[in-house]
Amino acid sequence: MKWKNQTKFKISGLNQEKLLNELSKSFTLSDIDRQSKNNTTFSCGFFEHKKVEKILKNKGVKVESVTHEGVFFLLKKALTSYGLIAALVVFSALFFLQNNFVVQYEVTGLDKLSKTEVVDFVKSNFPSKKSALDTEAVEIGLIENFERVSFASCIIKGQTLVINIKEKLLPDEMYGGFAPLVASEDGKITQINLISGTLRVKVGDIVKKGEVLVDPYTIDTSGQMKKVDAKAEILADVYFEGMANHYQHFIEVVRTGNVVVQNDITLFGLSIYNFKEENNFKMYEVETEDVDLIKNLFLPFKMRKTYIYELKENVIESNFEDVKEEIVAKAKEKALEKCGECDNIKDEFYTIRHLSGVTIVNFCIVIEQQLAVYQNS
Amino acid sequence: MFNFLNEVKENVKNPKNFDLNGFNIINISGKLLYVEGHTGLVTLSKELISFRVKKAVIMVEGKDMILSELSDNTIKICGEIKKVEQI
Repeated sequence: MKWKNQTKFKISGLNQEKLLNELSKSFTLSDIDRQSKNNTTFSCGFFEHKKVEKILKNKGVKVESVTHEGVFFLLKKALTSYGLIAALVVFSALFFLQNNFVVQYEVTGLDKLSKTEVVDFVKSNFPSKKSALDTEAVEIGLIENFERVSFASCIIKGQTLVINIKEKLLPDEMYGGFAPLVASEDGKITQINLISGTLRVKVGDIVKKGEVLVDPYTIDTSGQMKKVDAKAEILADVYFEGMANHYQHFIEVVRTGNVVVQNDITLFGLSIYNFKEENNFKMYEVETEDVDLIKNLFLPFKMRKTYIYELKENVIESNFEDVKEEIVAKAKEKALEKCGECDNIKDEFYTIRHLSGVTIVNFCIVIEQQLAVYQNS
Repeated sequence: MFNFLNEVKENVKNPKNFDLNGFNIINISGKLLYVEGHTGLVTLSKELISFRVKKAVIMVEGKDMILSELSDNTIKICGEIKKVEQI
C-alpha cells in the first residue's frame, strides 16, 4: 500500500510532450512513463487531481484511467463507501441493546378493567429489562393489587410482555350504576319487554323525551326495595313533524333591468380616481367586483366596479289548491330531515290549517323504534 | 541557504567568464539524471528523452528511462543513462 497521496493518470493522444510541459508549469508531475507512442502514464498530487483532470478535459485529451492512492484517499473512501457498513454496525449494536428490553405490553382478557390501568401498574412496579423481569412476580403483583383479577399469566414474546387476565365474575347488579331508563324521543309506547327494574309506563302511554320509563329497583315480597339495573326493551311510535306555510298574498322583489355602474380606481386601498353615475333608484341592490386594472404591473392598481340594480315590488296572489302538492312535499321533506336515516316508516299523514291569509301544512311521519336508553350515572 | 551547485560555480576558475547560470545537470551513477533550468520537454520515450535549455537542446539516451519528476524547471530521469548530449 502506498501512503503518498497521489493520483495516477493514463492518457492517450498525440503530442504529449507539449501537454506535459503545460501541466508541469502549474503542477509537479512524477513517474512519467511513455509506454508507447500514444500512451503515457503520470502522477500528480491527490489534492491537484481535479484541476489536472479539468485541464485534460479542456485540452480534449482522452483519459484512459484515473487511479488514486494514499492515506487521505483511503480515509475518504472509508468515510463514503464504508459509511453504510459503519451505519449497519451501529444499527446492529443499538438493535442488540434495545432487544434486551420490553417495549410493548399486550393485555388480553380484560372486561371491566382498563388496559392502561394494568400497563401503568406493570410499568411502574417492574423493570423493563427482560433479564430482570420476573413474570411470576408480575402475575402475583396483578392478583394482589387488583381485586377484580382472579387469574393472571405473563410471558415475554420478543419485546412484548403478553399479560392474560381473567376477571372475577360478579353479579350484574354490582356493575350497574342503578340509573333509570329514560325515553330517547317523544312517542307513544307500543310494546314493553321488562328485563329488570320497575316499570313506570304502560303500552299506549305517550311519553316525552327524557321521561323515566323504568326505575332501577324492585320491591320484593317482604316489601323491601332492592337496587337492580334498569333494563327493558321498549318500542314506541315516534312522531317526526315538518311544517310548511303558504301565503295567499306575498310580495316578490325583482330587478327591473335598469343598472347604474360606478368605477373606483385604487392604489394600496386609496382611491385615486372615480367615476360615478347618479343613482336615482328608490329601491336597489348593490353588487361590487374588484379587478386588477393591468396585469403584471408593479404597482397594484385595482378597479372596484359597483353595480346598482333597480328593484321593484310585485304583489303575487297564489291559490293554495294550485300549489298544495308542492307545499305538502316541502313539509314532508322537513319531517324526513328530522328523522334522519329511518327506513322503517310505519305511517305518514298531514294536516292543513287555514288561517287569515296563510295556510299551514303539518306533515307527520310515524316510526317504530326502541325508546329505552340505559343511563349509567 | 547552502547550495552545492552555487558553491561549485563560485569556487571554479572561469577565466573566460562563461555564463554559468543557464542550467545544471547532475548524473548520479548513470541511473539518475537531475536537471535544473530546463525550458520544456521535446521528446519522451524509454530510449530517448530530450529537453530544451537556454540556447540549446539536451538529449539523453538510455534504456527503460522514465521521468520520475517533471516540474516547471526541474527534471529527474530514472533508468539506465548511456549518453547525455548537448546540441
